[in-house]
Amino acid sequence: MTATQRRIVLPLVAFILFLALWQIASWVFAIPVYLMPSPLEIVRGGARLGPALFSNTLETLTTILIGFALSCLVGIPLGVLVSVNRLTSEAIYPLIVFLNAIPIVAIAPILVVVFGTDMTARLIIVTLIAFFPIMVATATGILDTPEEMLDLARVAGASPLAEIITVRLPHAVTFIFGGLRIGVTVAVVGAVVAEFVNANKGLGFLVTSSTAQFAIPTAMACVVMLAIISVLLYEGINLLHRMVFPWSIRRVAGH
Amino acid sequence: MLAVPEMPNAALAATASAAEQKPLIELAHVGVTFQTKRGDPVVAVDDFNLTINKEEIFSLCGPSGCGKSTVVRMLAGLLKPTSGDIWIGGGARARGFSEVAIVFQRPTLLPWSSVINNVLYPVRVLRRVTAADRTRAMELLDLVGLADMAESMPNELSGGMQQRAAIARSLILDPKILLMDEPFGALDALTREDLQLDLLDIHASTRKTILLVTHSISEAVLLSDRVAVMSARPGRLQDLIDIDIAKPRSHETAAVPAFLDYSKRIRDDIFGPRAKREITR
Ligand SMILES: Nc1ncnc2c1ncn2[C@@H]1O[C@H](COP(=O)(O)OP(=O)(O)OP(=O)(O)O)[C@@H](O)[C@H]1O
Ligand SMILES: [Mg+2]
Repeated sequence: MTATQRRIVLPLVAFILFLALWQIASWVFAIPVYLMPSPLEIVRGGARLGPALFSNTLETLTTILIGFALSCLVGIPLGVLVSVNRLTSEAIYPLIVFLNAIPIVAIAPILVVVFGTDMTARLIIVTLIAFFPIMVATATGILDTPEEMLDLARVAGASPLAEIITVRLPHAVTFIFGGLRIGVTVAVVGAVVAEFVNANKGLGFLVTSSTAQFAIPTAMACVVMLAIISVLLYEGINLLHRMVFPWSIRRVAGH
Repeated sequence: MLAVPEMPNAALAATASAAEQKPLIELAHVGVTFQTKRGDPVVAVDDFNLTINKEEIFSLCGPSGCGKSTVVRMLAGLLKPTSGDIWIGGGARARGFSEVAIVFQRPTLLPWSSVINNVLYPVRVLRRVTAADRTRAMELLDLVGLADMAESMPNELSGGMQQRAAIARSLILDPKILLMDEPFGALDALTREDLQLDLLDIHASTRKTILLVTHSISEAVLLSDRVAVMSARPGRLQDLIDIDIAKPRSHETAAVPAFLDYSKRIRDDIFGPRAKREITR
């Protein structure tokens, strides 16, 4: 078995074993469904939803993706702004830290009142929670640019803007992707929180509505779906990183 | 920066043989003081006078911390002198690497660009890259022996190859002045010797004006038309030496008696006081 195959097969085997143990445990100890549904019950709970499971997944995924895209559109330029210029940094950094300090769960109901129950409020919530790690990572990368590279750009006659575009941002790519990986997982959390407080569709909505009817397996099926989304998005970011910016992948031992 | 009408006396006296040559760079009474965080200012360079002529290889030697890099950074426009004047001739000031190009101690290639795009970087900063630029970049890569690595990424090159690419990059816009701050300092001895000869070849074919900072006395003598020795802090011009050894030079030049004399003179300039101290011990 090659190293690559092992990296895929080993966790898969472990995961299946884990599911099997869980299933056996719930049979042996006769754990009540409302306490902890077994894997098979969760699958049945999901099946009971039928195609609704997928349409609601799609709904949540849309919120996550648009919200995440907005987070990038806000986070990356802000990260550049707070790191390249002392004045902008001093002016807006405290404000941003304050924004980030607001507990999203607390402000979510208020946003719903202000913006109504359409997607706007949900997107704002996702963006508010996901832009921060992206911004911080971008700023860290911009500031990490080696002094010699900046000297090169300056002697070559680069304007401050050209310096950012040709040297600082490319150097920051590795850092930005670190931020995107965190950002995308946080965006999933943000979307669920948003759907908790305001939605009539989406996985977050299904979780609250199913638990209200004590349909724990159904709620768990939605949670599993969310976890799958989260993992897939995370790996998607990794894949994008590797495909578009192969030079920026740090060679880690064993990889 | 203001034009300085007369050449500084110290420089005049020692450039008798180069009298008919045209000065390209003049530093007159240049001083640099750094303001440190703790408050006490550091005088890095003091009353520094220097004239560098067109088409010569001029080396700057001296103990660590004497201000060699500071002088290079001033000429590169990265640092303004605290006092004094810097004058660069040769007609209208050009932009970026077409005026002054630089080679650092480390190659400083951009890891996200292929070798040829690194060579083209100084062009890309100023304007659109044309087909002619690409042709020229390929010629330069050929000149430094990297023609077949043009599409490689920098991390696929050895340290010496990367430094060659950096040299090709410095020549892409045909600069008036080439600044090299210990360009071979980070290389192994063999690569270093190789690149020294390459630099002599490049100079013979391009007639660039080169300011070379080096810690190696033999490198200074081998490559230079003139060598300036700087004293330790504050950096001042201590000695200015015409290297009157016929060209083309090679590593056999190192066996010429004059080579040894020049080396000894520079070594005495730098280590003079310490040699005496050791004798009295
Ligand atoms: N940004 C700075 N702030 C404060 N002091 C500085 C700064 N840059 C240089 N110096 C000081 O100025 C002096 C000259 O530095 P410089 O780098 O020019 O020396 P150098 O001759 O190039 O040394 P080396 O051979 O080790 O490269 C040093 O004493 C250094 O401590
Ligand atoms: Mg130095």
